Amino acid sequence: MTMFDVTKPETAVDQTDIKIAASNVQVFYGDTQAIKDVDVDIQDKTVTAFIGPSGCGKSTFLRCLNRMNDTIDSCRVEGRILLDEQDIYAPQVDPVQLRAKVGMVFQKPNPFPKSIYDNVAYGPKIHGMARTKGELDEVVEKSLRRAALWEEVKDRLDTPGTGLSGGQQQRLCIARAVATRPEVLLMDEPCSALDPIATAQVEELIDELKQRFSVVIVTHSMQQAARVSQKTAFFHLGNLVEYDDTNTIFTNPQDPRTESYITGRIG
Amino acid sequence: MTLLAFVILLTAVTVGYVINLRAARAIRDGGTRMHSLESFHGGYAALMTLVPTFFLIIIWMLFQGTVIELIVKSGISDQLEGLGTGETQLVMAEIRSIAGGRIFGTPEQWKLDAAERLVALRGLSGWLLVAVTAALATTMLYVSRRTVSSEFRARQGVERIVHVLMAGCATVAIFVTIGIVASLLFETFRFFQMVPFWDFLLGTNWEPQIPIREDQVAAEGAFGMLPVFLGTLVIAFVAMVIATPIGLLSAIYLHEFASNRIRGVVKPVLEVLAGVPTVVYGFFAILVIAPAIRSFGTDLGLPIASNTALAAGSVMGIMLIPFISSFADDALGAVPRSLRDGSLAVGATQAETMLKVLFPAAIPGIVGGILLAISRAIGETMIVVMAAGLIAKMTINPLDSVTTVTVQIVTLLIGDTAFDSPKTLAAFALGMVLFLMTLCINILALRIVRKYREIYD
Ligand SMILES: Nc1ncnc2c1ncn2[C@@H]1O[C@H](COP(=O)(O)OP(=O)(O)OP(=O)(O)O)[C@@H](O)[C@H]1O
Ligand SMILES: [Mg+2]
Repeated sequence: MTMFDVTKPETAVDQTDIKIAASNVQVFYGDTQAIKDVDVDIQDKTVTAFIGPSGCGKSTFLRCLNRMNDTIDSCRVEGRILLDEQDIYAPQVDPVQLRAKVGMVFQKPNPFPKSIYDNVAYGPKIHGMARTKGELDEVVEKSLRRAALWEEVKDRLDTPGTGLSGGQQQRLCIARAVATRPEVLLMDEPCSALDPIATAQVEELIDELKQRFSVVIVTHSMQQAARVSQKTAFFHLGNLVEYDDTNTIFTNPQDPRTESYITGRIG
Repeated sequence: MTLLAFVILLTAVTVGYVINLRAARAIRDGGTRMHSLESFHGGYAALMTLVPTFFLIIIWMLFQGTVIELIVKSGISDQLEGLGTGETQLVMAEIRSIAGGRIFGTPEQWKLDAAERLVALRGLSGWLLVAVTAALATTMLYVSRRTVSSEFRARQGVERIVHVLMAGCATVAIFVTIGIVASLLFETFRFFQMVPFWDFLLGTNWEPQIPIREDQVAAEGAFGMLPVFLGTLVIAFVAMVIATPIGLLSAIYLHEFASNRIRGVVKPVLEVLAGVPTVVYGFFAILVIAPAIRSFGTDLGLPIASNTALAAGSVMGIMLIPFISSFADDALGAVPRSLRDGSLAVGATQAETMLKVLFPAAIPGIVGGILLAISRAIGETMIVVMAAGLIAKMTINPLDSVTTVTVQIVTLLIGDTAFDSPKTLAAFALGMVLFLMTLCINILALRIVRKYREIYD
């Protein structure tokens, strides 16, 4: 990519900036279409928020980005999604490799019934990212620190992750996701089970994560979208209605549907 | 007559339902707000009539025979004077068969009279039953009809009656269990009065062929349960060695890797396997597995008994495959999908997800299933009766012929037996051993299964 900087300085900014380029994406569950013709470019080192009423397809679209939809039998995805200009649905792409690069945090905390340490070390172990126990310890500590959980759990790393509180569990899942050093982090309503304090911590974390990753977050809270994101996409009934800078969306939406949603009239 | 009583009962129940329903409806149509729906008023009447009357009929049927015989006996007490219990029973049996129209030879006049009396009393009892049923049903109809009013809580009433009925059923189950255990305990106790406890528990010799009649010539019996117990363990072990890996792997395959089409074929086949009667497995063991093992052994030059523990155990293992696989399948299915997604989302493959997340999470349920399978293997009878040996040997060689606790119980109780010799009573002691073993395993299994339920519910 640095190559472009040298040869084509004007377009280089756009090229390097775009982490994921989705065009013409259609998603079907059996015969019903959940996503219609969505085009969206997700920028690197940016927080992008997906908002929209319940059932509009935010989660579905998010799951296309790391091919988690492959695990649903009835689900079919059409269109093109490029990650670093490579089609992630191309036959030579291994979804397993892809998911190591595009991490995901789910709406409900889902720690494994293993120790806190093993939860975080799970991904690095699978991908052989640490050669020695010392390296692994380091990865675990760094990930837990990033997820703002280290101080709370450093003395009980070998107790089960399922024994933590809901908010701690969610941060553990975030630590688990960042431990594989993904390039993109997808978060599907990561704060819906958290109290305001834990939410603030997670938001702070998201802000920090965007230094390295591109973060995509689905949220039902306008305030959250406004607080953490630089770009916002508004979905409605499977369509991407509007996609712009978060500021623009919240102060000067172009589409009447967006306006009514953010002012609380639909949804 | 009993049929008539039941017809009366059913009619009364229906009539009660309709009457109360109508009455309640009339009140409602009069504009009063009812506490309960009309159908509950109807149901209340139906249950109030059904339950007591039904139990009356049952109790009547249970005791009418005894009561009638008592009356007949008291009528001929002069003739029965001085007879023993056995002889009295003979006389009563004769009277009963005369009453049934089967007369052999020329019975004395008093027997004929008694038989006649018996017939008359039976007829009377039948009519009395009908009368009492009708009276009780009518009373209950009247009582429940009186209750219909806007405030009457028929709904709670119905629920209370159903509640009591359910509690009754549960109690019956408990009492049956207690009864079984008690009879087992009682007979076992009698056995230990004849054979010392420690001889039974630690003896290494099992030769229960003792003389049944004094004039018979036979060896002195020996009742050491260890070889029999060991035989059971050997066969159960062979069965588990075969059933556990196959059952688990097939469950994992079906749960995680098989396509829908394959699953659609294999699952029903496994269910068929689970439904095969154990006798059929026994045939299979004798006709297919045992000869195969024997000829295989002769090819290798190994001395192999005709009834090997291996044959019986491996067929039992086949029987247990669907059992273990369905348990493991349930346990894997109970692991939340979110865990699977979580693992896949960090880039684990399906196999890694299965091995590192799903399987460990399901282990408690799987272990519970395996323990239940072991207790089935220990208690399984038909296959081993057909395919295992009869001679108790102190061996753990699966190529040898061994016998099991269940086989010995069957052989001890078959044929010409008197229920007061150590030979037959030994069966109860063995039964007790079996019961205690499976009880412990089941308790352990249920504990483990329950513990794992707590995690995910
Ligand atoms: N596994 C599935 N099978 C069939 N249909 C599905 C499945 N998952 C989602 N859908 C359908 O796809 C549409 C979009 O669902 P999706 O979960 O993406 O909505 P969402 O925007 O995330 O909603 P929410 O805000 O409530 O999470 C819905 O109509 C839903 O019913
Ligand atoms: Mg969603």
